Amino acid sequence: MSAAIEAPALDVRDVRRVYRSKPNDIVALAGVDLEVAPGEFFGLLGPNGAGKTTLIKILTTLLLPSSGTARVFGFDVVDDTKRIRRIMNMVAGGEQSGYGILTVRESLWMFGQFYGLGTRDAWKRVDELIDATGLQEQRDQRVATLSTGQRQKMNFARGLLNDPWIFFLDEPTLGLDVAAARSVRELVVQWKAAVPGRTILLTTHYMAEADELCDRIAIVDHGRILAIGTPAELKHRVQTESIFRLELDRLDAGAEALSRLPGVVSASVAADDGDGHERQDVVVNVVLADDAALGGVVTALGRLGSQIRSLRKSEPTLEDVFVELVGRGFAEADTADGTNRANATNGANGSKPRLAAESGQSAEAATGAEEELV
Amino acid sequence: MTASGVASSEERGLESPPWGGFDPSRTHGRGVRDTWRSFATAARLGWQMEANWTDPVLFFIYSVAKPLSTTLIFIVMIDVVGGASTAEYKAFVVVGTALWSLVLSGIAGLAWSILDDRERYRMLKYIYVSPSDFIITLVGRGVARLAVGAMGALITLAVGVVALGVGFDPARVDWLLLAAVTVIGLVAIIAIGVVLAAICIQTRQESWSYPEAAAGALFLVSGAVFPLAVLPSPAQVVGWMTPLTWWIEGVRRAVFPAGISGIGGPESLFASYTGRPVPDSGEVVIALLATGAVVTLAAAVVFRISERRAKNRGLLDQTTGS
Amino acid sequence: MSSPFVYRPTDSPAAAATWTRRQAFATDLRAVWGRAYPRIRGMGREKSWIFFEILLPFLTTSAFVFVYRALNAPPQYIGFVVLGGAMTAFWLNVIWMMASQLYWEKSQGNLELYFAAPMDFMSVLFGMAIGGLVMSSVRAVVVLVVATTLYDVSFAVDQWLLLLAVFGLTLAALYGLGMILAALFLVWGREAFHLTQGLMEPVYFVSGLNFPVARLGIVGALAIGVMPLAVGLDAMRQLAFAGTDYPKGTPSPGVEALILVVMVAVSLLLARWILRRLEQVARREGRLSLRWQ
Repeated sequence: MSAAIEAPALDVRDVRRVYRSKPNDIVALAGVDLEVAPGEFFGLLGPNGAGKTTLIKILTTLLLPSSGTARVFGFDVVDDTKRIRRIMNMVAGGEQSGYGILTVRESLWMFGQFYGLGTRDAWKRVDELIDATGLQEQRDQRVATLSTGQRQKMNFARGLLNDPWIFFLDEPTLGLDVAAARSVRELVVQWKAAVPGRTILLTTHYMAEADELCDRIAIVDHGRILAIGTPAELKHRVQTESIFRLELDRLDAGAEALSRLPGVVSASVAADDGDGHERQDVVVNVVLADDAALGGVVTALGRLGSQIRSLRKSEPTLEDVFVELVGRGFAEADTADGTNRANATNGANGSKPRLAAESGQSAEAATGAEEELV
Repeated sequence: MTASGVASSEERGLESPPWGGFDPSRTHGRGVRDTWRSFATAARLGWQMEANWTDPVLFFIYSVAKPLSTTLIFIVMIDVVGGASTAEYKAFVVVGTALWSLVLSGIAGLAWSILDDRERYRMLKYIYVSPSDFIITLVGRGVARLAVGAMGALITLAVGVVALGVGFDPARVDWLLLAAVTVIGLVAIIAIGVVLAAICIQTRQESWSYPEAAAGALFLVSGAVFPLAVLPSPAQVVGWMTPLTWWIEGVRRAVFPAGISGIGGPESLFASYTGRPVPDSGEVVIALLATGAVVTLAAAVVFRISERRAKNRGLLDQTTGS
Repeated sequence: MSSPFVYRPTDSPAAAATWTRRQAFATDLRAVWGRAYPRIRGMGREKSWIFFEILLPFLTTSAFVFVYRALNAPPQYIGFVVLGGAMTAFWLNVIWMMASQLYWEKSQGNLELYFAAPMDFMSVLFGMAIGGLVMSSVRAVVVLVVATTLYDVSFAVDQWLLLLAVFGLTLAALYGLGMILAALFLVWGREAFHLTQGLMEPVYFVSGLNFPVARLGIVGALAIGVMPLAVGLDAMRQLAFAGTDYPKGTPSPGVEALILVVMVAVSLLLARWILRRLEQVARREGRLSLRWQ
């Protein structure tokens, strides 16, 4: 990363976004503060309607904030739109952009023109990106005939045409099957590895995706950031101890023998897996104050004559973090938001188009417990 | 209740039968009731889409401006030239253009429904795979636009009678003829709309203008704004084969019996072929029925061919556009 | 760096964000060509337009020709209608392939990508216009040539240069108007689409597509002042049928050419201003990326 980059990649200060609607205005962002360093892979994690897409639209200069300021590498999203548009690109999940009548190659070339690539340069770049994204066989296929996964790879290639300094990914794996989603994530990782100084802002409601890819994550709900940190830091908020599950051939001395070991908070034998089948082995759940105490436990088990058949660390998920912060899970959050959005739109004037869910609407009144944690 | 004492699928609603298995009776439709429901729902949806984009006043103005402007274009053209027979000809043109707005609405309605649902709302595939008959749904959607066109046509005729010198005597209206040609004519209009819809299934998003282009072409040979006698004989024959020609003639004959005939006239092919100046009402109805039947049959065939081709090539859920 | 992901490395985002005027202009020009490309390519890949955009409109023009024949109109009126029919192609291109096209672009999600790209949005509109111009020009030429031959139209042109200049200025003014309308489409939704449909025939009427606009009296005079199609068509008719009995009441072709020059300048400047203002409105109200699903 060049030392010349002094400004943060993203600098968001108290950004609010309110949509005028009947009967009540919709507060999509309720005062967001965020700073992303250059070269970071930053995730916005939250349920549908949390405000993630709204924030991305503000940062990609498609939407004005109602108040507050936001800067991309020091350029203001309200006044310096041209400069920002030269150094960023964006890809959204479920994107159907482009023209079905063109081939993949032609479509990418066309977008290349919008970013000022010379014709010859553009064709060369397009061919390289087609190869890099694994679309060689679809090169001359019409866009209208692509599968969802192929389409998204093409969108990803489009997003890389101008070699952006900051890449906005708005739920890029939405609607993709497992293989296609993995493929897109691998592309993201490859790109990041190839150009380490570049920044990515990823919005997602797939926790595993955020956990796998992001250096830091902000958990968002109802237009507010609830917590920011690395995945490990966020999980540590929920569970400071380490929990291990061990499958042993036997444990004659019982779990109490392990409980007395230094660094062991507690140890207990699991009754069964809940499937009603009789166990041949003994499953012990051990809670340690620190991972380092595991060595002592393994040694003790050896002395007690127990053989370890498997050992697995049990970690909290980011959903556990979300539940801890908000008091409900992602699925409940989606359901609650769906009800609130339906109530907010029932009285709306039908002659105006309704804002799509991607715009990040959320109910104005916060529901459930919210903690000011950031 | 079935013979074995189990509640029928209608009584159970959407629940599976008690034994948990697939109930084949769920795949049976309810015949005419299903058809009617599909049609009515589609028509209601079509009306909502046609009408709810603005307030009623603006909607009214929008619905009337188009046919009225078309009529005024011809009125001015006639005024420009002047002459002794212009008053009679104005009446001829007013009726023709008013009815033409109905034609345009009818044939555009179905075609635009295809393009709307495929390109804008991405709903075409869902409508297609629903149990509703696809063509019934399309016709239902098209009927809404037809209704808007009918409103424009009636108002234009009213303006023509009140302000543009079209002579109208309610006592001389042949209601039976009017009813007959209206019913058969609407079926023919919808059939032409079905043909255009079939074409639009195959074409890309820019084919939005195709219905207007088709209506414009039919304008030439249907005696809407000038008697067919003006055309060369082969073109007049083409006009005879078009149900719209007989429909417009029938409406003129029924509502404005004293007016100029679109098909007959002193130098027309009809007069030289039959020795009579104008066709009589029975001939008009029979010709309308015959040409309408041919067009309706052709529409059904063309639509099915287009549908099959669309399924073969995956066109029903594509988005095009350039 | 040999990775395919690396294209044109710059030292910093600030360096990458700073373009010279030449770079920016070149990008805008490339964007014009880029946007025209799908239109032009599409013509070759899906050829139904030959029938629906060329042949059928020719028949529509023919209908108006026969109306005048039925009225035993002077022969130059046939010529007026043929010229009007040819120019209709450009008006339809402006209104359907430019202005209301943005409505489709919004639904497909292209509109937000256009605004997120560094080119000037007017380049996109120019590209749409040029892409559609190919089809419109073919239509206009077919209508003109075939109808002239078939219906025995006699042109009498004695100022070719002025005629061509008026034609060019009319197109420029029309497309400038198209850009203004496109800007309005940014903030309107279905309203704009329906209004476009509904305004087709009224525009034909006040523009005198099928008759000399002088016949409309005060309405015609107003049309000459504000509608590029009205003033351009009137001037072209006067020039193409010089020496015939042309209805009095409209300015001379030279004056109308000057009116067109003013219209071009005003429409392009106004379009630029409106596009910028309305982009801000659209960004404020979140209308750049509305989609139904």
